[in-house]
Formats: sequence, structure tokens, C-alpha cells
Amino acid sequence: MYNQIIIDNFSNPQHTGNLELADYEIEIGNPVCGDRIKIQLLTHDNFIDKAVFKAWGCATSIATANIFCDSVCGQPINSITQRSAEHLAQMLGELEPSQHHCLHILTQLHEKLAALLKAGVV
Amino acid sequence: MKTEHISGYFDYNATTPISDEVAKSMISAIGQFANPSSSNNYSQLAKTVVSHARENVAKLLNVKAPNIFFTSGGTEANNWAIKGVLSKHSDQPGHIITSAIEHASVHDPIKYCIQQLGYEVTYLKPDSSGAINVADLKGAIRANTQLISVMYANNETGVIQPISAIAKIAHEHSIPMHVDAVQLVGKQHLDVTALNVDYLSLSAHKFYGPKGIGCLYIKDISSIDPLIHGGGQESAMRSGTENVMAIAGLSKAAEEAQQAIEQWNKEYWSYKQHMIALLNAAPIKVKFNGATNYIDALPNTLNITIEGIRAEALAARMEMLHHTIISIGSACSNNKTKKASHVLTAMGLNEVDIQASIRVSFGRFTSLSAIEMFVQALVAETQVLLSISESGICKSN
Ligand SMILES: Cc1ncc(COP(=O)(O)O)c(C=O)c1O
Repeated sequence: MYNQIIIDNFSNPQHTGNLELADYEIEIGNPVCGDRIKIQLLTHDNFIDKAVFKAWGCATSIATANIFCDSVCGQPINSITQRSAEHLAQMLGELEPSQHHCLHILTQLHEKLAALLKAGVV
Repeated sequence: MKTEHISGYFDYNATTPISDEVAKSMISAIGQFANPSSSNNYSQLAKTVVSHARENVAKLLNVKAPNIFFTSGGTEANNWAIKGVLSKHSDQPGHIITSAIEHASVHDPIKYCIQQLGYEVTYLKPDSSGAINVADLKGAIRANTQLISVMYANNETGVIQPISAIAKIAHEHSIPMHVDAVQLVGKQHLDVTALNVDYLSLSAHKFYGPKGIGCLYIKDISSIDPLIHGGGQESAMRSGTENVMAIAGLSKAAEEAQQAIEQWNKEYWSYKQHMIALLNAAPIKVKFNGATNYIDALPNTLNITIEGIRAEALAARMEMLHHTIISIGSACSNNKTKKASHVLTAMGLNEVDIQASIRVSFGRFTSLSAIEMFVQALVAETQVLLSISESGICKSN
């Protein structure tokens, strides 16, 4: 069963799409279940203006991509990368064991964003 | 049965709704509180329910009533056939032949016999049609083969196995033969006497009866040990006070199937053909797994790979947005492992195709318009998922 956050974000994802001219791209894959997610970002002055995704995966991983995009729009990048593990868990709500890998996906998305920040590319 | 409430149910191979007639017969049996094995006036009524049920099931299979033994369902019947036959050889554990595509209730008792009791096993693989090969079976027979257990129809693909030919070979070699017919009973006519197998399992909830009741047909009771010992019910072959209410349900389900099977079968087949035609004409890429023709597969089952999608996501959208239930070939089970269909794996499908595979199974409460709405929803949701995943990150290889 899926919690309401997952149902809402999976059944009607608002952030799917492709940007012709993205400022940054984050791509991750889960070797076990084969989930793949690509996020594209438009930024200015350390703020994320727009985030879109493409995903191939289970319902929860597609929902996770949408939740991530939704949560970063309009936010300063350095505050996004400081989110705690608890905060990330709350973003997805209660998960079944078979869905826990999506918390790992969400964590990875934040880590990749932090790595971009650290490398000074954003 | 208000069929509109369940028009989105396409998982009849998992379980079927109880028919109104079955429900009625169970409700009327609930008052039969007496123990059917006692010898007072009250118990006579309960006893009649049980013996009438045995007659009805026997008629459905075309066998004699005393050869029917009630169990708690398909799982128990399969466990009993395997352990009950092999325990006759416990002093000299030999060899078992089965297929790679059996239900867990056959595979797991066999695994138990291998690991705990020292038996050996050969698993016969199906070809891409989903059926095992009779020549492979012949080649697998050893001097010490003590049991052949092969399912009649596969639950995931609906593909029918060459049981009649296998039974003939088994008899030529005097090897007892068990058939898990759980998926075939109630979908296709079955004559177990003509088939000439030694043991055959069925389960009521796969043909509009209640859960938790089934039976094992046993040709010769001296050839098998009881699985459950106790008070001597079922000719001391399967002890335990009978579940009269469930038996009444099975009885009615068998009676209804006996009367309507030709009609159901015809109707399912016409729906299946319609569904195949609609899917082939749809703007999505589908591949049917295993045989789909009338002779080689159940008329109510289709196993379909839909290129480019993840079945798990498709099933979720079908349920969330269309109240439609299907079954899938692979699912994430936790962070580190994945459960992929052993049936599709044995048929040679690759991982990506298994992840893109669904099982659709329908039944007597499915209507033609439900089939059409189903395909419409399936195509629309497939297109949504393809649009979410396009642009090169999601190659299907
Ligand atoms: C082929 C097959 N055998 C056995 C069983 C088990 O039957 P039951 O649910 O009555 O234990 C099933 C049910 O899923 C089945 O599909």
C-alpha cells in the first residue's frame, strides 16, 4: 500500500518534463531495482527556479522524484543541502519495507546536489 | 453479485469473488453446528452436507466420491501429495521430477524433502511457449524416480502443460503422478478418470468458492501416507473436524462449475481474443508471454510485456486512478533484493522484460465492456508512464 503523499505525487506528478537549456542535471540509478531518475534544474543566484524530472521506476521512486522537484523550487540551494535525515524521511511519509529504497534515492538526490555545491558549480 | 463493483478486478487467478449461490449455501450451512462425525440426529444434516459435497466435487472431476479428500486448500493438497507419497520411501529417498514453473506450494515441500530428507530433484524447464517438453521428462526419469509432480495450468501465464502425455509416461514407468490442477479447475472441462493421474489438487477459491477449502483426489489410498493425523476423519487420511460451512461452499462452487463450465469457457475465450485484438491495435508495444491459443492456454489469462514501462508503476496507476487490479511479474521486495517471477525467468525472459510484465486474469463476473475499459485504461496509463520516462534515460535493455 502507498501513503497519501506517494499517491498524490505519483498519480498526478506536476514536475515531469525536459528542459532544453538546463543549468544542472542530476542523474541517479539504483542497481538493484533498476530505478533511474534524471533531474534538471534552472537556477539563479543560488536559488532553484525550476526543477523537472524524468524517471523510470516503481511508483514510489517516481513520486520521490516529484517530491524532490516540488521541494526545491524557489529554495536557496544551501538550505536544501542542509536538510536532516529526519526531514527527508518526513518528506516521503511512512514507507513499507519494499519502498524504503526510495528514501535512499531521495538522500542521493540531496547528496548529488550538495556535491555540485561543494564543487563550486552552483 | 453486483458486478459493477468488481468490474476492475483482473486478478481472478489470485482469487475469485464468492458467487451468490455459494454464499447462500454457506449461510444455510452455518446452522449445521453438529459434528459430522458424531452419530446423533443433529450430525446427520452436517454429514449430508459433507457427503453431498464429495459427490459434487467427484462429478466435476469425473471420479468416484470416495477418492475425494477435503483439505484446507491447494497448498495443503500439494503438500500432502508430495510428502505423503515420498514418506513411503523414507528409508530409501530417491528422485523427484517437477517443473521449474510450479507454485511455491509444490516447490517448497519438494525443497524440504531435498534438504531435510535427502531426496534429489530434476526441474524441467519450459520453452518460450511456457510449456515443458515431454521428451525432457522422458530423459529425466531415473530408476529411482519416486514421484512426478507437474501443474496442469500455470498461474502466471495460463499455459497448459502436457499432462495427459506425462501421465502416460509415468504409468509406463510405474511412477506415481501428481497434478496441481488448482488453476485449471473451473476454467476448463476436466476428466480425471480419463487423464489417469494418481493425485490431483484443487482449491475452491479459484472457482468462486470460499478460501481455506480444497481437496486432493487420490486414486489409491494405500499409495500415500496421511499428512495430518488425529481423530480419523476423511477415512483417517486427513484428520480434523470438518469445516462444514466451507465444504458447503466448495460443494456449490463445484455444482455451479459443472453446470456452467462450457459457457464460462466460451465467454472467457471470446473476451481473451477481444483483449488480444485491442492490445495489438493499440499504440503501445506489447508482447504476449507464452502460448495464447485456445488449446495451449487458459482462456482467462494473459501475461503481457509492455515495452518501456515498469509493471509495478503501471499496476499502481491502474489501481489508484481506475480501481483496476492486475498482478505483476516483479516487484522491489526491500532495499537489497528484488523478487522476479521464477516462471518468466524459466521461460527465458530478460530482467527488463520481466519488470515490464503484467498478468491479466478475468472470470465470470467480467463483462465485455469491462474488458474494453480495461484496455483503454491500460493504454492511457502506459502512455503516461512512457511520457514520464522518455528522453533516453529509460532504454528497455
Ligand atoms: C497453481 C497453484 N497451486 C496452488 C495454489 C495454492 O492454493 P491455496 O491458495 O488454496 O492454498 C495456488 C494459489 O495461488 C496456485 O495458483
